[in-house]
Amino acid sequence: MTAERSIAQSIESSIREDQAHEAAENSKFGFIVFLLSESVIFLSFFVGYSVFKTNNADWYPPGVDHLETREPLINTIVLVSSSFVIYVAERYLHDKKLWGFRVFLLATMAMGGYFLFGQAVEWSNLSFGFTSGVFGGLFYLLTGFHGLHVLTGILLQVVMLGRSFIPGNYDSGSFGVEATSLFWHFVDVIWIILYVLIYVWQ
Amino acid sequence: MTNAPVEAIDVARRQPYPGAPDNWKRFFSFSTDHKVIGIQYIVTAYIFFLIGGLLSMVMRGELITPEADVVDRTVYNALFTMHGSIMLFMWTFPVLVGLGNYLVPLMIGARDMAFPRLNAVSFWMIPIVGILMIASFFVPGGPSQSGWWAYPPVSLQNPTGNLINGQVLWILAVAISGVSSILGGVNFVTTIVRMRAPGMTWFRTPAFVWSVLAAQLIQLYGLPALTAGAVMLLFDLTVGTSFFAPERGGNPVLYQHFFWFYSHPAVYVMVLPVFGAFSEILPVYARKPLFGYRVVAVSSLLITFISGLVWVHHMYASGTPGWMRILFMFTTLLVAVPTGVKVFAWVATIWGGKLRLTTAMLFALTGITNFVFAGITGVMLGSVPIDIHVNNTYFIVAHFHYVIYGTIVFGIYAALYHWFPKMTGRMYYEGLGKLHFALTFIGTTLCFFPMHFSGLMGMPRRVASYDPEFAFWNVLASLGGFLLGISVLPFILNVVSSWIQGEKAPNNPWRAIGLEWFTTSPPPVENFEEIPVVISPPYQYGKNQPLIENQSEIVPADGVTT
Amino acid sequence: MKLRPILAISAFVAFLSIASFWTAKQAYSWFPPQASAESKLYDELFSILTGIGTFILLGISLVVLYAMLFQRAGKYDFTDGPHIEGNTTIEILWTATPLFLVLWIATYSYQIYDAMAIRGPMELVHLHNPVEMQAAYAVPLDEVKPQLPTENIDVTAKQWAWIFRYPDRNVTSTELHLPVDHRIHLSLHSEDVLHGFYVPAFRLKQDVIPAKTIDFEFTPIQTGKYRLRDSVYSGTYFASNQADVVVESQEDYDRWLAMAANQTPSEAYNPAAEEHQRIARRNVVRGWKTVEPAPPPVVNFAPKHEPTSSPT
Ligand code: HEA
Ligand code: HEA
Ligand code: CUA
Ligand SMILES: [Cu+2]
Repeated sequence: MTAERSIAQSIESSIREDQAHEAAENSKFGFIVFLLSESVIFLSFFVGYSVFKTNNADWYPPGVDHLETREPLINTIVLVSSSFVIYVAERYLHDKKLWGFRVFLLATMAMGGYFLFGQAVEWSNLSFGFTSGVFGGLFYLLTGFHGLHVLTGILLQVVMLGRSFIPGNYDSGSFGVEATSLFWHFVDVIWIILYVLIYVWQ
Repeated sequence: MTNAPVEAIDVARRQPYPGAPDNWKRFFSFSTDHKVIGIQYIVTAYIFFLIGGLLSMVMRGELITPEADVVDRTVYNALFTMHGSIMLFMWTFPVLVGLGNYLVPLMIGARDMAFPRLNAVSFWMIPIVGILMIASFFVPGGPSQSGWWAYPPVSLQNPTGNLINGQVLWILAVAISGVSSILGGVNFVTTIVRMRAPGMTWFRTPAFVWSVLAAQLIQLYGLPALTAGAVMLLFDLTVGTSFFAPERGGNPVLYQHFFWFYSHPAVYVMVLPVFGAFSEILPVYARKPLFGYRVVAVSSLLITFISGLVWVHHMYASGTPGWMRILFMFTTLLVAVPTGVKVFAWVATIWGGKLRLTTAMLFALTGITNFVFAGITGVMLGSVPIDIHVNNTYFIVAHFHYVIYGTIVFGIYAALYHWFPKMTGRMYYEGLGKLHFALTFIGTTLCFFPMHFSGLMGMPRRVASYDPEFAFWNVLASLGGFLLGISVLPFILNVVSSWIQGEKAPNNPWRAIGLEWFTTSPPPVENFEEIPVVISPPYQYGKNQPLIENQSEIVPADGVTT
Repeated sequence: MKLRPILAISAFVAFLSIASFWTAKQAYSWFPPQASAESKLYDELFSILTGIGTFILLGISLVVLYAMLFQRAGKYDFTDGPHIEGNTTIEILWTATPLFLVLWIATYSYQIYDAMAIRGPMELVHLHNPVEMQAAYAVPLDEVKPQLPTENIDVTAKQWAWIFRYPDRNVTSTELHLPVDHRIHLSLHSEDVLHGFYVPAFRLKQDVIPAKTIDFEFTPIQTGKYRLRDSVYSGTYFASNQADVVVESQEDYDRWLAMAANQTPSEAYNPAAEEHQRIARRNVVRGWKTVEPAPPPVVNFAPKHEPTSSPT
């Protein structure tokens, strides 16, 4: 009797695990689908930007003839490298080394924070605003919308960091971390295109 | 795909069926059961159908005479704007999502959608959208009056100067509905790709599921473009950017591209599930397999693909250069090919069958002939020179009501009748159903057929007043419109009374082949006692072959599950 | 043996063909008069498409109707129909035929469009490359009277009025006068929102886009008075934004231009402004706040009444 029950219980728990695994796989698939869809918003903005730029005669607002690229370039390098840092963090988690994970995740957050800070400094030094013609609008729309994504990424990382202090949280899988990392790579790739469009193509 | 049954959990899971005494409350709660959510969607959407229809009744009242006399012009303009917006965003999309929600997990043998909680969140955004739409009638300046396209610069003209105005509320509503649809899209695609029952390969998946997949993929690639356009429009309207404001260097035509890049494919988001419903319903009442099932299934995806390449046919007469007009004419006309494949397949399905003309079958068959008519006027519109004359006339209004009402609403009615016993556990009254059908068919023809002629004569759409030469056709259309208004009464009567006290439905009243019919009516909370294992393609009518493993034990010959 | 189905199908196709031919002929009567060269091309194309469409629609509907009437299951017949899953030959046939048909329709439509040579806007993205669309417009339609010069007219649309300017004579008018059998070249402008230049009797329309000039060409071939309608929804008084188009002989046209040039500009009748004031005078508020109509245009030739063109 007890033997039967314990067998039943172990079957049940293994099924539960199966289902949890299944659910995580579904979540991952769904998240990728979502990111693909999200990238179309950026794509639309980029196409819009290109159409405007090729179409409008006076592109920059009066008094502006080009954009400073040096600080944004440093910013770019920081953000892009952080993609590698979060990858390292993920490896540590995979090897169940929680402290390594936490350290590198913190580093990623710091780099993302630096990027946002740099962006804020750049914005405050610009001579044109959101309503300064089509270019002004697009510049703030694109960088702002991307910045929101960076912020979201950092918040996700904060949550993942917090969760790492719950004992055993990542034992049965780490979908949340994978998603956060995927999102971060996504935000990076978007930035590269954005940088090329706005800063390189002047 | 291991939806393994767990006896121990199962007992706790088995809750009372909908219909049990205290059970209606579930429909007003944050339920995560896809069947509850499906019905929530359908009922909510139908209420908005009545509201949208009521607005069109006032419009038809205005249009029965040439002068602008029944309502003020601003009111008329608000009416058609809100009629179009409510009908599309609050009726057609939600009701089809509801049907998909109800049917897809059952048809693929899953216990629920992939993300039940997300599903509920998507649904509960819909009432919010509705409240925003309705609220806009009560803000100063009234609701949006720029048509459902919200083309700038008209949509940027803000006569009241208020920050909160009808147009802003409209954009917010559309944006929220977009978020809800994207989340829904993610949910559907994940569910369909990953949760089909063991043995259900792609070519054993019902055509309805294929068509839902095809439709939801459109949502995923199209909606973000509309969102981008809407965000820019909102900034133009509220903070004074100039993306689409021509006097400040903006480009209003670009908005049209953003809008139609989504809103053209959106018409296929609406029609594809209906195609799917036709493909399910015809074999059942003709007792024959779906003719050319694989091609029908794949053509849905083909339509998804082509429909992303044709949006400029709504802008032939706009700021569109000649080469673009011609290019998009070719892509547009190509859509007729995969669509035609479906139509011919349906006809071949019923041909030589043993037809039973139930209400569902009548709606499905006339829906198809209405669609062929609408498709043919669509092909005419796709031809650039033809469109240049009839663009923005009542010919367009006729074309799209023939698809949207004659096909989609007919298809939705067909689906609702067909699956009504499954959803409610009750049979509907055939007589009332037939009456509903007759009124709807006559009303549709009388209302929308004459519009072709006023359109060809040159009557523009979106006018509160028109020249007397168009009066004859408009009187006919208005009478047809009022008849359509009346036609909903037998339907509502039928649904309400049979849901409350109709005859109890057996599990498989139509002797259909399909997983959803192999469970109880209505299905238990987790759909199946045991996840079925699929062993053959769908629609094996006329061939004594079971669809699932151990079918004869699970589903006894009389169709009642033990 | 096999003769019966063949005969039946032939009879069916013959019936469809006759019915389609008849409907195609009917199609000509659905339109306003053919007042432009383009309208002749248009009506012919429409008639052909109507014929094809009737054939397809009637063919499918009759088959469905036949099945509904004669292929019903008996009341107590619960057996299934024959198990037919498909037929590759037929499926290829009904994929290929529509494919060729629509390609043919598209090609033929392209030729018609080309022959109309209505110009229209240039590309949205101005790439500054020399490969312009001009080549496509090489075949002017007015080969009938190629000796007559093209007439240039500026058209301005606003909320809610149409103003026509004849730059050579410096005449402005709220009624569009056109010399018959001339190629007409319009430059379309808008002062505020999108409008649409649409004359049903010409079967032509072109959206008018603010901050952009759009060229538009056609050839009127029949004298008479026709109606010009705004075709792109432009706000509250959109429906009343109409004007008369007068197509007249060269002599009448010249006489009219000379007469108009001698008139001092005065205020034209403007339905939108008129109606707006009427509403303002009433103290019952029925509608919502609207964009104010522009003041009535002040032009040389200023009719003091609504458009009067006779019903189609
Ligand atoms: C909801 C569904 C829906 C569907 C399915 C369609 C289907 C089609 N539509 Fe329609 N359409 C609308 C909804 C829909 N439309 C709406 C809402 C608008 C107006 C929006 C607005 O302005 O407010 C519109 C407007 C619209 C326009 C713009 C007109 C204008 O504003 O000037 C055009 C132009 O090309 C067009 C074309 C087509 C075509 C070619 C199809 C094709 O998909 C049809 C294909 C089907 C068939 C052809 C029939 C079956 C095929 C056969 C039997 C094979 C043999 C046939 C041939 C070889 C011809 N539609
Ligand atoms: C799913 C979409 C859908 C549906 C179902 C309908 C249904 C109907 N529509 Fe349409 N319509 C559109 C989508 C739709 N429409 C769109 C997108 C536009 C374009 C808008 C634009 O230009 O921006 C449009 C525009 C449009 C116009 C053109 C307006 C203009 O350009 O000026 C007209 C004119 O006749 C019209 C009429 C009708 C009629 C008579 C019905 C009838 O079928 C409706 C029948 C009515 C009912 C079934 C409900 C009856 C309800 C009651 C009797 C009251 C019950 C009361 C309560 C419970 C409170 N519609
Ligand atoms: Cu177009 Cu130069
Ligand atoms: Cu379209």
